[in-house]
Amino acid sequence: MLETSIFIILSLFMLGGSIAIITNKQTVFSVFGFLIVMIGFGGMFALLDNRFLALAQIMVSVGAVVVLSMLAVLSVNAQEKNLPNEPYKYRWIVFSSILVLPFTYLIYKTLSSLAKEFTTNGFTSKDIGSELFNSWVLPFEIVSILLLTAMIGAIVIARKDNS
Amino acid sequence: MNPDMFFLLASVLFSIGLVGIISRRNLFIVYISIELMLSSINLILATLSKLSNDPAGSVMALIIIAVIAAEAALFLAIIIHLNRLKRSIDSDDFKELAQKGDS
Repeated sequence: MLETSIFIILSLFMLGGSIAIITNKQTVFSVFGFLIVMIGFGGMFALLDNRFLALAQIMVSVGAVVVLSMLAVLSVNAQEKNLPNEPYKYRWIVFSSILVLPFTYLIYKTLSSLAKEFTTNGFTSKDIGSELFNSWVLPFEIVSILLLTAMIGAIVIARKDNS
Repeated sequence: MNPDMFFLLASVLFSIGLVGIISRRNLFIVYISIELMLSSINLILATLSKLSNDPAGSVMALIIIAVIAAEAALFLAIIIHLNRLKRSIDSDDFKELAQKGDS
């Protein structure tokens, strides 16, 4: 019962944050919504009894990605007049929501036909670690190369061109 | 607590991200919507991982978190570069690759 109420409160926060992302005109408020949604994802992982993912979500997504987005938004510093002029924003949002609604229903129906109950006891972080370094070593190494290339590429793209 | 609630939340958040990509023209909001979609996939993977009692789903979600970080760095660098080129974060201003007379 307690878990269900925590879930409902967290999911209301996440839905509100995600609606704030797509409806706000000022980008900074959208990033605050993004922050709320990412913390909510961390809470969801904790509710799923997956401590490792919750910790990784809080450290990487909230600690790095959201802070980086906020720094980028603040350094771009778009004035009110430089923001895109979107007079029909709400009309577009309502229209595309109607378009996307059957797709949402399809995803939900497909996933919820898998199982109705959590039956197992779950696993610990130790199992995740041994799985990661036994069967998933190659993807792990590829991800490290990907992160290195992304870092170098971001530096090269965002550098001021002096020539 | 049943898995249906998690699946419903994840599919609704995925769709909100899709709506954001379709309907907004601010580049930052397009970026945040992509992040939202990737994270909701993470939630689905974690739920399936608990359902089947298999840590592989959590490992996949962990790798997706790393991909999200890489994507964030690149996307924000590209947005800053584009803003430096044209002083604009409107995606409609960047259509040099469109056909002539198509604008």
